[in-house]
Order: sequence, then structure tokens, then C-alpha cells
Amino acid sequence: MQVTEVVSDGLKREFKVVVNAAQLDRDLDTKLKELAGRANIRGFRPGKVPVPHLRRVYGKSVMADVVQQAIDDTSKKVVEERSLKPAYQPEVKLPEDRAEVEKIMEGKGDLAYSLSFEIIPDFDIQDFSGIELSRHVVAVEDSHVEEALDRLAAQSRGFTAREEGKGAETGDRLTISFVGRIDGEVFENGTASDVPLVLGSGQFLPGFEDQLVGAKAGDDVLVKVTFPETYGVAELAGKPAEFEVKVSAVEVPEQQSVEETAARLGFENGEKLKEALKSRIGEEFASMSNMKLKRDVLDALDKAYNFELPSKLVEAEFAGIWRELANEMARSGKSFADEGTTEEEAQKEYRAIAERRVRLGLVLGTLGERENIQVTDQEMQKALLDRASQFPGQGKQVIDFYRKNPRALVELRGPIFEQKVVDFIVSKAKVTEKPVTREELQALVKDEEEDFHYGHDHEHDHDHDHHHHHDHDHHGHDHDHGHDHDHHHDEGEHRT
Amino acid sequence: MSKERFYNIIRGPAITEKGTLVSEKNQIVFNVASRATKPQIKAAVEGLFGVKVKAVNTLIRKGKSRRFRGIPTILSDVKKAYVTLEEGHRLDVTTGL
Repeated sequence: MQVTEVVSDGLKREFKVVVNAAQLDRDLDTKLKELAGRANIRGFRPGKVPVPHLRRVYGKSVMADVVQQAIDDTSKKVVEERSLKPAYQPEVKLPEDRAEVEKIMEGKGDLAYSLSFEIIPDFDIQDFSGIELSRHVVAVEDSHVEEALDRLAAQSRGFTAREEGKGAETGDRLTISFVGRIDGEVFENGTASDVPLVLGSGQFLPGFEDQLVGAKAGDDVLVKVTFPETYGVAELAGKPAEFEVKVSAVEVPEQQSVEETAARLGFENGEKLKEALKSRIGEEFASMSNMKLKRDVLDALDKAYNFELPSKLVEAEFAGIWRELANEMARSGKSFADEGTTEEEAQKEYRAIAERRVRLGLVLGTLGERENIQVTDQEMQKALLDRASQFPGQGKQVIDFYRKNPRALVELRGPIFEQKVVDFIVSKAKVTEKPVTREELQALVKDEEEDFHYGHDHEHDHDHDHHHHHDHDHHGHDHDHGHDHDHHHDEGEHRT
Repeated sequence: MSKERFYNIIRGPAITEKGTLVSEKNQIVFNVASRATKPQIKAAVEGLFGVKVKAVNTLIRKGKSRRFRGIPTILSDVKKAYVTLEEGHRLDVTTGL
């Protein structure tokens, strides 16, 4: 085997490897002999097939194996001898000339191929113990608990019929039937009967509920509203409509004490309920601030490291994002112009994201390796169960799916590994606690989602989770939209 | 004689242990039609493969008796021809005709 280095430019390496024919021939012979020992061919006693005969008949197909094997072995050897770390599976380019390939297969020509890959950039893991991080801590205040309690109470409270002859007030529940018309025409989905509607809940079109205030049971009310410009159904948006509403019942919400709410929800008493709420809110805050902390860590890493990236990896990551984005856009029927950007700009933006992901993936991977961070079976098990619990009723199928798909398991492992490395960094870093209010924390988390793009595993071929994330990031300019989805996504991913 | 006739005489090569063994003596073993004669076989081999045949030896392997669902059956006989080629002629039929 002769190896010559053809390209050594930056991270790119290319080698020309030549395996001579005699070597291949010897390999073929050994392989055939091995085969002869157990070949069972008609006309021959088992194991008695002469090697020359085998060679004549099966020589070519065995040779293909031999060549494959030779390529695998030699390419591995090339990489190992030079102790290089390829960033991905090296690419093997065989001679394209058919005649040449034919010759190799016949064992007459030398096998020559080129091996190209990019190495993992060599970078020093910086000392991160100096990183200063702040954990944003939100104290759970009584007002938060009260708020949550009110919400709960509203969900679980009962209603009683309002006194005869009295008009409905905001907060009352009406039972209504209505027929909607635009220009005198009944329109689709504009008609319903016996719908419960809590006044002031904002469930219906803006202005609809207001006009029902003061209505009595048995009243007929004509409600005139205009569909908002942004209404989901294009034909209806911006159109004025009239609804003939028949109010069949007006009910007043029952005043409910804390104790009653607790009882309704199966808690022993009000205190217990409050405590449960408090701890749940605390957890929510904690997970929010953890998320923020993780982002800070990743940001810091991203800033701290700046090295050349294997372009293939970036390309692959980018292609993944781009494909997903294109799908998303095709689905929603949006164009780049709608998003206030051009294709080139978007490409640039997403390329930056891809680079960031690859960089962080590499840093986290190397760090984790150096610090010997492992994902234990127990953690995998837990993650698996968590994932399963996200699909109620199908838990078993989900687990089976992962059992049968080692690749999918790897996907599951990525985020855990990432989290563990981040945890490790956090444990080494100087973390100062910084009290903030809930609103501040929420604002921080939201901000981040707009400006930055997260999600990076170091399994680079594992994308689907992330892209989901990113699609919505794309709408980052419009807060709520982006936020909702991202948030959801993050919860799923980081529940490790 | 047409090629078709030749193929009716020569059924195919007998690729067996013995077949490969005798190939070293420049002999080839064919399964042939049981009614085929030595001159016919010689003509067929020469016509099909363009080689010169020195001698043809034939044998009939009698059909073996088998039991099929308890009923004794006799398999059909097989005629084989050991074809010796003239010096300097070679033929490899192991990879198909």
C-alpha cells in the first residue's frame, strides 16, 4: 500500500492510496480458500470444491468484496497512522474508467483511489472555570399563586341561573344559538346552536360579547361585528357580518372560595392546594431560568471559540435547515418577500445558524469526551419514558419504536449529552444568583429566542427536532408566533 | 447440422468434482441426449465451440430408484460424454455456455 498526500489545505485532506494487484490477489486467494472450506455447490461434496473452479465462477463477486475490504482497511489505516480525526466518514473516489475498474476486478490492475475528508479542527479547550454566569432566580410570590388559583377556580367553577328578568353581565355564561350573515347571505361555519359563551372570555369575535351584555334569557339580539383583517379565513377577513343571536340561558358564576376549589380538585384543603401550586410555579421558573442559563453557556462558548469549521458539516447542516424551511414555506404558502427578507439574506442567516450549531456541537463533543461525560443507561431509560409519556396511550409503541431503531435512540441521546456537558460547565463556572421578577425573566427568554438560534447536537445527521425549532425561529420577527412554538419545542427537548 | 440440433445433443456441461478434475487432462464432461452418438457429439462440440475433438467416450448412468409418496419410481437415465480435445485446444465451460 502506497499513500501519498495530495491535498492538505486547512482542514481538508486528500490522499491517494494505491494497493497493488498482487496484494489484492493474495487477499482474494485467502478469501476463496476460506470459502472453499464451506461452499456447498451442486455436483461437489461439501467443502470439496477446487479453489480454481471457485475462482473462475465466483472470482468477480468475491473480488468486489475484497476490494471493498481493502478500501475500508486502508482508509482506516491511513487515518490511524496519521492520527487524524475525520469530521465525517471519509469520501472514497474510485477510478471512473470502466476498463480500469474491470482490470482491478480481474486482479490485474492496481487499486488506486483517492480518499478525501476534513479533519475535526484542532482547538484548545479553554478554561471555562472563569466563565461568569448568572442564574436568574425568581422568587415565587403570593401574587403568582393567587393568579394561578384564580385561573384554576375559573376553570372549575360552576354556574347557576341568573334571576329572572336580569340582564347578563361580564363574566356570566350564556347559552346561545346564532345564525351569521354577510350581506344577507348565510356563510359557512357562521351558525351554531346551544353554545356556551362566557362573556369577556374573548372566545368570539371582538365586540361580539360586548353586545350581549344586558341580554336576558329568551332574548333575541342582533349582533353586528366586523371580521378583523387578520382573520384566519381569507374570504371573511375584514367583512362586516350580522349575527341573529338567541339567548336561551344566562348563568352567573358561583363565587368559590379557595377551600371549595381545593375540594373540587381533590386537595385536602386550601393550604395544600396553594402549596402544590407554589411548587409547580417554582418548577416552572426554575426550568425557565435553566433554559436561560444554558443559552448563556452556549453563547459564551460560541463567542469563546472561533476556528475553521469543516465545510462539509456546515453544508450538511445548512442543507437540512434549508430543506425543512422550504417545506415549511411551501406548506404555509409564504415567500421570502412575505417575511420581509430575500432568499440570499435568509440563506446567509441560516448559514450562520448552521455554523453555530456545528461549532457548538464540536465544542460540546470534545469537551464531553475530554471530561469523560457519559450518558448512562439509566438516563436513557428515563428519557425514553419521558418521551413515551408525551404520547399518552401510545407509550408502548413509542418505546418499541426506539427499541427497534438504534438511530432514533442516538437522537434521544444527543440532547442528554448536551445537557450534561452544559451542566458540567455550569458546575465549574462561577454562577451568581441574580434575583429578577417573573416578567423580566420571561422577557429575557423571549429575547433570546428572537436573536439567537439554538439546538445543536453533535450528531449532525440528527435534525428533525431542530429544524422544527428553526422554522419557527424564522418568524422570530413576530413575537408570539415564534415564541409559542419554540417554547413548546424546548420543553420537549430539554426534558432530560 | 444447425446450431439448434447441436443444442439438442448437448444438454450442458457437467460441472462436478470429477468434471473439474479431468479438465486438467484437456477433457470436458457434458450431459448429452441419451440417443446421441459419439460422432454426433463430436460434431456438436466442434460446431458449437470451434475446437477440435480428439475423442469422445460416453457412459450411461442408469436412473436411480426413488420413492415418491411411497410409490417406487425410477429416475431417467443420464448419458454423459467425456470429450477429449486435440492438443492446443482449450475450452472453459464452467462459467456457462
